[in-house]
Amino acid sequence: MSPLNRREFLQTSSASLALAVLGLSGKADGAAANKYPSIRIGNIRDLKTGEPVQFNYPDKSSPCNVVMLNGNAVGGIGPFSNVVAFSALCPHMGCPVNYSNGRFVCGCHYSMFDAAKNGQTYQGLASQWLAQVSLRLDKASGNIYAEGIEGLVYGRIGNLNIS
Amino acid sequence: MSLFTRKESLPIPPKDAERYTTVCQYCSAGCGYNVYVWPVGRNGSAKNNAFGIDLSMQSPMLSGHSYTETMHNVITRKNGISYNLAIVPAKESRINKGNYSVRGGTNAIAAWSDTGYTKKRLKQPLLKKGDSFAAISWTDAVEIIATLTKASIDRYGADSIAMKFYDHGSSGLGFEDNWAAGKLFLSGIRTNHLSIHNRPAYNSEVWGTRERGMHELNYDVDDARLADTVVLWGANAYEAATILYTEHIMPNLQGASMDEKKSAFDTGEPAAEGRLIVIDPRKNASVTVAQAIAGGRVLHIRPNLGTDWILANAIARIAWENGWYDKAFLEKRTDMKTFEEYKAKSLQLAKPLNDLLAEAEKITGVSRKEMEQAAEWIAKPKSGGFRARTLTIYEKGIIWNMKNYDQVAAIAQLSVLTANIGRPGTGCGREGGHQEGYVRPPAPTPGSIYAGGPPKNVDKFLTGGGGKIYWVGATDPYLSTPNSQFFRKVLKKRSATLLDHIDHGGVPSDPKELVARVLDAFEKTDGLFMVVQDIYMTQTGNDAMLILPAAGWGEAADTSINCHSRLLRIYDKFMDAPGEALPDWKILSMVGMKLRELYTAAGNKEMADRFSDMDWKSDEEVFLAGSREFGDNRVPETEEAKLSPECYKGVTHQILRKLGNTGIQTPVRVDPSTGKLVGTKRRYKYSFATTDGRFRWYGTDPWSGYPPEVAKYVGNPKYPYWFTTGRSQLVWQTMYHDRYLPEKYFALPLPYIEVHPEDAAHLGIRGGDMVEVFNEEGSSIALVYVNDACKPGLVFGIMYHAKGSMNHLTSSYTDPKTTMPWYKGTKVGIRPYHGTPDEAIRTTSLLPNNNFS
Repeated sequence: MSPLNRREFLQTSSASLALAVLGLSGKADGAAANKYPSIRIGNIRDLKTGEPVQFNYPDKSSPCNVVMLNGNAVGGIGPFSNVVAFSALCPHMGCPVNYSNGRFVCGCHYSMFDAAKNGQTYQGLASQWLAQVSLRLDKASGNIYAEGIEGLVYGRIGNLNIS
Repeated sequence: MSLFTRKESLPIPPKDAERYTTVCQYCSAGCGYNVYVWPVGRNGSAKNNAFGIDLSMQSPMLSGHSYTETMHNVITRKNGISYNLAIVPAKESRINKGNYSVRGGTNAIAAWSDTGYTKKRLKQPLLKKGDSFAAISWTDAVEIIATLTKASIDRYGADSIAMKFYDHGSSGLGFEDNWAAGKLFLSGIRTNHLSIHNRPAYNSEVWGTRERGMHELNYDVDDARLADTVVLWGANAYEAATILYTEHIMPNLQGASMDEKKSAFDTGEPAAEGRLIVIDPRKNASVTVAQAIAGGRVLHIRPNLGTDWILANAIARIAWENGWYDKAFLEKRTDMKTFEEYKAKSLQLAKPLNDLLAEAEKITGVSRKEMEQAAEWIAKPKSGGFRARTLTIYEKGIIWNMKNYDQVAAIAQLSVLTANIGRPGTGCGREGGHQEGYVRPPAPTPGSIYAGGPPKNVDKFLTGGGGKIYWVGATDPYLSTPNSQFFRKVLKKRSATLLDHIDHGGVPSDPKELVARVLDAFEKTDGLFMVVQDIYMTQTGNDAMLILPAAGWGEAADTSINCHSRLLRIYDKFMDAPGEALPDWKILSMVGMKLRELYTAAGNKEMADRFSDMDWKSDEEVFLAGSREFGDNRVPETEEAKLSPECYKGVTHQILRKLGNTGIQTPVRVDPSTGKLVGTKRRYKYSFATTDGRFRWYGTDPWSGYPPEVAKYVGNPKYPYWFTTGRSQLVWQTMYHDRYLPEKYFALPLPYIEVHPEDAAHLGIRGGDMVEVFNEEGSSIALVYVNDACKPGLVFGIMYHAKGSMNHLTSSYTDPKTTMPWYKGTKVGIRPYHGTPDEAIRTTSLLPNNNFS
C-alpha cells in the first residue's frame, strides 16, 4: 500500500476515529485543508547525489529538501530507494537545516538528523525527529511528487492548518 | 514508511485549560516548563487558546514557543476522564528562555499514559511468589517490611539493613522525598550501611571542595555568559547539561553576551568574546561544537586517564610563577597556614619549574605549551591589570576519576588561587547530573578520611555476605554500580537463597507467616530480602522479594534546585499516579509510622521515638518539616556563607507557586533589615563556609601510579585498550522512560562503544558491528560506532543502557579517602562478535556524533 493510499484509507475508515481520540487527526480548528496536495517537486534524472534541492510543501511557508543519498534509506524512492525529502525546518526551534554528508545539520544548536534513517535525531536537541515528506515516483517520466508528510512541521499546530 | 507512527497535528489547549509550572525532570540545567491540561474533545482554537499565540500562522524560528510531537500526551486521571497534556518549554524562564533539550522535550510523552508509550508503570505493591510477582495490599507490604526491619534491628543490629536511595531532585521528588528518606533511615533505623543512588557509599562526591569551605554549587548560570573563559573539566555540557551549553556558554563564544559583560564588568575593564577550555580525553561534541563556532578560542586538552589533579597543579604552578594571583585576596580570604601545605605539596615550590612541568608532561600526556596556554586563559590579568574572570565547571570526569578527593580539591584550589570565585563571570563548581533537593538529618559519616570518614562501602558489605535487608529506591544498581556483573551475580544468589528457604508449598499469603519464614531464613542462610521502590520494574527489581510502586514527576508536588543557579522552584502535581502508586515520602512515612507502632506495642519507647514526626499529610508538610533542619537564616548578605547551600527556610509551596518559573535561589535568607526572604545569586563573595570564613588549603598527594585493581591490566597484551565511560546526549540514566519512546529506542537500541577508526581497522570491525568487551571483572556485548572522539588506544562506552551495562568492566576500586569509585577508567580487550547481530541495529544512525562540519 502506498503512503497516499494508506492515508486516504485512514481518512475514510473507522480507524480515524481512534486516531482522533489520540489527537492525531489531520483536522484542527482553522483548518485550511484536510488533504495533502500532490505536487511535482522535480525529476529524478535531475538529482545529483548529495546535492539537495529545495521546494515548498505542502504550502509556500514550509520549505523542504529533496536529496539523493549514497545508499538506500527509510522511505526512499527510486531504483535504489535513495531519494528522500524532509522539512527544512529544524523540529527543535525552527531554524533551517542544511544537508551535508548524509545528514541535515541545524545551524542554531547543531542538532543532526540522519537522512537515511527516517530523519532521526542522532545528536543534538531536537526531541522530535525531522518531518519526512512522502514521495511518489512516476517511473515513466521520472517525475517526483510530494504527497504527504510524516511528522509535524515545526511551528505548526497541524501540517495542513496554516492560513 | 516511517519507523513509527508520527503525528501531523496536535490538539490546542483552550484558554481555560488548567495551567501549572514545572521544571524538567531530567538534567542539572533545570529548564522551566509550562503544563496545560484539558479534557479530550474540548480543544481551543487557533486564534483563541491557552498559549496566547495565533496558531493559524507559521511561527518564525527561535520564537521561544515550541509545541512539538513529543510535547503532547493523553492521560487519564483517577476520575476516569481522559485529558490532553501539553508540556512546553517556558520562554519566561531565565534558565532556558524557551529552549529545551532532546531529553526535556519528551517530558509529555514520558508521562504515564495507558494509551501511550509508558503503560508499563508499576501500579500495585508486588510480592515474589515462585518465579513471578503477585499483587499485595499496601497494608500487607508495609507490615512485612516494617516487621522485618524491626526484627533485623533487634536481632542483628541496625547495620543489618542496607539501603540505596537517591538523594537528588528533579525526577526524584526533591526535598520532600529526601527529608522522608532521611527521617526513616538516618534518624529512625540509623544504619551505617547507607548508599546513594549512583555509588556504593553515603558520601559527598565533592568533599575535596566542601572541606575547603566551598560548596560545589556556587555560581549562577549568568556567569557562563559573563566569563572571559569557561573551563569544562570532565564535563560534557553539550550532551549532559545541554541548555547550560547552548543557551549560556555558546552565546558567550559567539559574542552575543558582550553587552551583558560591559554592564557587569568594572569600569574600563576589557570585555571580549568568550574562550572555552575543554579538559577531556575525548574530542566530544562539547569540543567540536565550540570549534565550529570559535575555533581559535577553544583549547582542548586531553589528559591521560586518572591524571587530572597533576595537570591542575601544574597549571596552578605556572600561574604562581607568573604572578597571576591576587596576594591581597589570598591573605584576606584564605587560610595562610594551610596555604604553606598547598605550596609545598600541590605547587611543589621546592621543585624547579622545568622539572615539575617535565614530570607533569610525562604523567598527564599534556604538553607544557597546552598547560601554559590554559594557565594564561584561566589566570592572566587582562590589560589594565583587571583580574581574569574564569568559570570552571567540572563533573563526573573528575568526580568518578581515580583519587576523587584530590582531583576535586586540586581544581577548587586552582580557582581560588587565581581568585576566580564570588565575582560575576567566575565560580568553580559542579555541572551536576540530576538537579538537587537534599535535606536530611546529619549523615553518620560527616566527611572524608580527613573529617571523620571514610564511609562504608555497602556493595562490598553485601557481596561479602553482610546484611539482611537491602532497600533500593529509584535506582538500578544491577546496571549502575561498579563491578556490577559480580554484584548482580552475588545478589541474585542471595535473593534466590532466601526465596528457596521460604518457599515450601508456596510463599505464604499471611504476612505474619511470611515474616516468620523470612526470619528463619535470616537465621539459617545468607539470604537477602530485597525491596525495590520505583516507578517501573528494574533489573534489580526482578530479583527483589517486594516491589513498591512509586509516584513519579508530575504526580506529586515536588521542589528541587537546579545546579547552575541553585534555583528553587515548584514542580507541580498535574496528574495522578498510576494505580496505587504513592509518592516516595508517603511510602517511607507509612513504614516509619508502622515501626513506631510496633516499637510502642513492644514497650520500647526509645526506639518508637526515633520514628516520630513522620505523620505528614501532604507534600508541603514534608517540605516544611525538612526546612526546620536548616536553622536560623536571618543573616545579612555578607554572612550567606554560613547558610546551608540548599537552605529554603521560610519558603512554602504557596510562595513557590506564585514565583512560578522565576523561583528563588538558595540559600534563601531572611534579610534582617526588611524581614523579607531573599535569594543568593552567587556565593562566597564575602567569606567561605569555614568557622573563620577563610578557605582551607590542602596539599594533594604526589603521583603514585594506578591502583592495583587497574594496574594489573597495564602492560598485559590481553587488555590493550584503555576504557572510559559516559553518557549519551539522547537518553537519560538507565533509559527507564526512554526505552519505551520510539524516538529514543530506535536511535539508541543497544549498549554501545565508540572506537577510533585506526583501532576499528586493527580489530577488523566497522560501525554497526557487535563486539564483546571484556576484562577480568566481566564482559559486555556492545554495538560499535566508529568516530574520532577517542584517541587510538582509548575506547568509550555508554555507562549503561536499558539492555546492558558497561559497569561489568569497572573495577571495585574506590578512593580510600571518600569511597568514591573510579567508574571512568580501566583496561579491556575487544573481540568481534561473530553471531547474528541484534536486528535492532538496523534503525540506528552510524554517523559520527562529534562531527558537525
